Amino acid sequence: MATYQCPDCGYVYDEKVGCEHEGYPAGTQWEDIPEEFPCPDCFVREKPDFEMLEGGK
Amino acid sequence: MTVVNKSIVIIGAGHAGLTLAREIRANCNTTTITIISREAIRGYYKPNLSKALSMHKAPDQLVMKQTETIAEELNATLLGRFTVIEINSGRKEVKGLLNDSEESSVMTIPYDSLVMATGASPIRLPIERDLTTPLLSINNLEDYETFRSRIEQKKKILIIGAGFVGCELASDLISSGYEVDIIDQCEWPLQRSMPEVMGTEIKKAMAEQGVNWHLGVTLLSVTKNEQGAMLGSLSDGTTIQIDEVVSAVGLIPNTRLARGAGVAVQRGIEVDAFSQTHQPDVYALGDCVEYQGVTLPFIAPATHAAKALAKTLTGTKTALALPALPVAVKIRACPTVVCPPLIKKGIWQVQGAGMNLEAHFINERGQLSGFALIGQCISKKTKLASECIPTLTPIVDINASREAVA
Ligand SMILES: Cc1cc2nc3c(=O)[nH]c(=O)nc-3n(C[C@H](O)[C@H](O)[C@H](O)COP(=O)(O)OP(=O)(O)OC[C@H]3O[C@@H](n4cnc5c(N)ncnc54)[C@H](O)[C@@H]3O)c2cc1C
Repeated sequence: MATYQCPDCGYVYDEKVGCEHEGYPAGTQWEDIPEEFPCPDCFVREKPDFEMLEGGK
Repeated sequence: MTVVNKSIVIIGAGHAGLTLAREIRANCNTTTITIISREAIRGYYKPNLSKALSMHKAPDQLVMKQTETIAEELNATLLGRFTVIEINSGRKEVKGLLNDSEESSVMTIPYDSLVMATGASPIRLPIERDLTTPLLSINNLEDYETFRSRIEQKKKILIIGAGFVGCELASDLISSGYEVDIIDQCEWPLQRSMPEVMGTEIKKAMAEQGVNWHLGVTLLSVTKNEQGAMLGSLSDGTTIQIDEVVSAVGLIPNTRLARGAGVAVQRGIEVDAFSQTHQPDVYALGDCVEYQGVTLPFIAPATHAAKALAKTLTGTKTALALPALPVAVKIRACPTVVCPPLIKKGIWQVQGAGMNLEAHFINERGQLSGFALIGQCISKKTKLASECIPTLTPIVDINASREAVA
């Protein structure tokens, strides 16, 4: 399971945890998140801007 | 990649200034960029200041990038602890004081294009006090470091202001074991961004966590009694004992420099659709500007402005358009998202029940022009934002559009 971080605000998307309130349940893989996914904390950066923290492909 | 050989000076290393530099570099690596800041330049995300306690982060752990990394990544000259005291728009130079050590030295920096990203300063209410230390307010990392050292070993914190920052700080403090009182002359929290029923739910949810609300009243004075305890006297006659006071009553754009440079200023620095001020080659963005009479002191508008201005400065004139931009309010007890209406004429329409509410602000023409969401309804933010009228439609200068056609 991989984690990815928003470079602006530091929010971490953890595949294990998902992001329930945005409609991505626990276990949702990063590759299944749409490209226009905005950072759920700052709404500023989008998926392509995220930096891989660990375990990603 | 465009080739532009000019020197861009940016006053301000907050979100607006640094994002602009990043975006300029994304378009062009030949411009010379100089970034100036009164404080030391550190890359941190300001909204994290109002949730750092619950994130278990010390102030220095909020720094995501140190000066050297920023300078290297942006290929820019960074001048931290440099206070600009004058802009000479005729000679195209800025003059300032560098305070990097004990001594300070005057420096003059020439520019081809100047960008003011000077932010805003906390409003200070005239509260009677017999304390020697100034009232705390938090608008940058240095303020925050002071705040954290002052609340250490203390227990009861009084927050003045029940707007975004006040509510967020209250939530962060109460979730971290502090006792919190909030005072505001408004009748409900976030009054400017949501209707009463919704504000009441937030108030209730935070009260259940332990927050003591004092709404519809003002703070008259903060004094110390003989035993050395700090006392706040409220306009309703109550006196509360506290250990520390934080003021979060709003911001006033930093415009003194702009005024001195002959730039038109109302509440904030006036800019056109290209973020240009009334002076040629002087631009402005972020918390220091106003758009068609309104300030938008949030992250997202500054990011949009930075992207458009970076294009303009590197040769592709680009007007700024702002869609409706929702803002998350970091209240633990009650998830909240607001998209405040800019025009005050209209009515709130509320749907939902209990802590799951959705409020639409409908303007006089029947258009959705703002909204507020709490509880599970926050998941509707993206959909509603797309239905909402834009925050800013660029009024492109007629001459400019003629140029484009010609
Ligand atoms: C606690 C807190 C929480 C927040 N939470 C959110 C949130 O959740 N979502 C959101 O959208 N917004 C939030 N905001 C607002 C957001 O952080 C600001 O809108 C944004 O950071 C403003 O960026 P800026 O670059 O315009 O200004 P600032 O960050 O204020 O930067 C101004 C810069 O100008 C420099 N400067 C000014 N005058 C001079 C001078 N004379 N000489 C040299 N340098 C000068 C300063 O040193 C500084 O570097 C929050 C704000 C606070 C305080």
